[in-house]
Amino acid sequence: MDHETLGERLREQGISRRAFLKFCAAMASIMALPPGTANAIADAMSKATRPSVIWLSFQECTGCTESLTRSYTPTLESLIFDMISLDYHHTLQAASGFAAEKSRIDAMRNFYGKYLLVVDGSIPLHDGGIYSTIAGRTNLDLLQEAAKGAAAIIAVGTCASFGGIPNAKPNPTGAVSVSDIIKDKPVVNISGCPPIPAVITGVLAHYLTFGALPELDDLGRPRSFYGETIHDRCYRRPFYDQGKFAKTFDDEGARNGWCLFELGCKGPTTHNACATTKWNGGTSFPIESGHGCLGCSEPHFWDAGSFYSALSMPASALSLSTDAAIAGAAIGVGVSIANRFKKRAAKSVHVTATIADLEKQHE
Amino acid sequence: MSATLNKGIGVLKEIIDAPIASFFSSCVHCGLCAEACLFYTETGDPKYTPIHKLEPLRRVYQQEYTLTGRLTKMLGLSKPVTDDELDAWQPLVYDSCTLCGRCSLVCPVGNDIVYMVRKLREGMAISGHAPDGLVEAAGRSVEIGSPMGVRLPAVKAQMKHVLEDTGIEIPLDVTGAEYMVLMSSMEIISFPEYLAAIARIMKQAKKSWTLCSDAFEATNSGIQIGVSDIARVLVQRIVDGAEKLKVKTVISPECGHAYTALRWEGPNLIGRPYTFDVLHILEVLDGFYDQGLLKISGFEEARLTFHDPCQLVRRGGVLEEPRKLLKLVANNYVEMSDPGKMNWCCGGGGGVSAIDEAENLRLVAFKTKKSQLEATGAKTLVTACANCRIVLEEGLEHYKMNVHVTGLTEMIADHLATAEINSREMP
Repeated sequence: MDHETLGERLREQGISRRAFLKFCAAMASIMALPPGTANAIADAMSKATRPSVIWLSFQECTGCTESLTRSYTPTLESLIFDMISLDYHHTLQAASGFAAEKSRIDAMRNFYGKYLLVVDGSIPLHDGGIYSTIAGRTNLDLLQEAAKGAAAIIAVGTCASFGGIPNAKPNPTGAVSVSDIIKDKPVVNISGCPPIPAVITGVLAHYLTFGALPELDDLGRPRSFYGETIHDRCYRRPFYDQGKFAKTFDDEGARNGWCLFELGCKGPTTHNACATTKWNGGTSFPIESGHGCLGCSEPHFWDAGSFYSALSMPASALSLSTDAAIAGAAIGVGVSIANRFKKRAAKSVHVTATIADLEKQHE
Repeated sequence: MSATLNKGIGVLKEIIDAPIASFFSSCVHCGLCAEACLFYTETGDPKYTPIHKLEPLRRVYQQEYTLTGRLTKMLGLSKPVTDDELDAWQPLVYDSCTLCGRCSLVCPVGNDIVYMVRKLREGMAISGHAPDGLVEAAGRSVEIGSPMGVRLPAVKAQMKHVLEDTGIEIPLDVTGAEYMVLMSSMEIISFPEYLAAIARIMKQAKKSWTLCSDAFEATNSGIQIGVSDIARVLVQRIVDGAEKLKVKTVISPECGHAYTALRWEGPNLIGRPYTFDVLHILEVLDGFYDQGLLKISGFEEARLTFHDPCQLVRRGGVLEEPRKLLKLVANNYVEMSDPGKMNWCCGGGGGVSAIDEAENLRLVAFKTKKSQLEATGAKTLVTACANCRIVLEEGLEHYKMNVHVTGLTEMIADHLATAEINSREMP
């Protein structure tokens, strides 16, 4: 693939300047950038050289790719694919076998230090990482090799971001996230199971426009999409504030669209853009369809108790190691025995108080 | 023997018990108790937050009885409680706490804060940090027999007056009487109507009763100053008197803390159950009415309201009796705001009325009662505690309010049906 500028490429594809500007305006608004930025985005993007992108899929279900391809703004999202040069992607590439692996190796060599590495899926570490291999090589090996020459890494989906479902207890494969392994490159986590397609494209657009990754939160997620909780922006929030809760999925409250907190909605602790960006071309999002948020964009969402128990319920019984319990009890008994002696000593020196005892001697 | 810091700290070590340990451990520092204390609500000064008044006790608990406290004390990271500190706390532990117990009632984790103030006073008194007014009152109680210095001749003079006024002879030292009546010195000195009222009610009910020459005083300065050893001596006098006369029931007068001291603290102080019952006079009157022994005629027409003595409602459970009795004799009875167990203190309980230095603060705290009273529009204020009564009268006088204060027992006595008993000659 050649790497002409994006503007040239779009004109070749017959995409009008107007459609492109609309896309840029949409991106600016979705990333909460000032309105004037749309032109800057358009300017920067039309001049940008399409970067090479290598997409590696590890322990995953292909749901993240499905999410991306099912996006409901086809012209714009296919345009995204024209923005970048997708040089390697299991599911989407036509090539297979040695030819496929060759295009990956070529891209890594030709664009060393410049290509973007996108990863979906977690990386198994147990038993030398044998639980997931591609062309006879472990995921760990492939990731470390590809990461070396990458300008930045985008971890797509909760598995790549935080370990996801493979990492759920008891984690038989020893699955970990990209950022658990790669420490010397910038890593953006686009979590979600799957992530919102517009968030993936939004981060790519940001990188093309500004030549840098967007501002990230403490979990490495772009603040523009993950800065607020689902609960903050939920259209059912007024019911929460009024204390109106659906108690079952088919009661009066559920029919009236009341808050799903008591049915286990994890919206209050989940940072994502579902409530504003929505899914399926802006049609709706889970809560709008009558089901609580599962919290899929948060670490360990699979182990955070039942999807149907309210956040106020403890996720698991308090566990305490036996040793700590015994040590605590021993200290407790020790202190209590010492206290008993001290109190007994204080009692034994007690002299019955009389009126004379209340007057202080003044020297 | 004299008071010293060492002895005081020793006493605090001695009185810290499981409830106190659990209270300090479970305090969540929410500050709700501040809003329950009239010294805080009237001044807005956070130092009057009830749990803050316990700071010296909390520090002794922490340094002596907790693991971390012992370690920090051992390493010199926490300083021991000093005389200066206790001195600074005297106004908080005595002047601004009436032991009303409202804080204990609102505490969301159930900490009995007033119980701890009472216990802290033990150490304060023995380390020489009790107010002079209370030390003197306790001295008179032990040596003379009454905090106000009332002796038996004064009681006998009262008995003579009652005989002249009502024609009823007051029984003294009658062995085997059903009831032994106690009085507070306030009633002997300031409110002689009480003894006359009792005489007339007992006559109508045809009950045998007596005063005791060794134990006529009901109040207990030991409880107020917070010295159990002195409180025990005072309780023991009453117990000895009652057991000598072999009475069935001892009647606590219209006095809040006397009732608490005798009925709730007394058996624990002397370490055994009584051989007689203890009832507050209102409980006795209520019982008489239920048995048909109290015949009432005529109504008070004036608008009147009732001030619940803290020790009766919050600490003693005498909630319904005064209302039942009031409705027998009052046509125009209105409840104050926060009636019953949430009532606001008059500002003079727990010995505060005997502390001279506390007078100004007490009058500030009285504003709560003043506004409560103004809201009712009542011209007569009924209560069932002689101490409340005197504090209320002083407060009303200070704020120049034209409200008449009276005791409920007297009011009941004024409405007894029998004409013969009712014909009291006014002096």
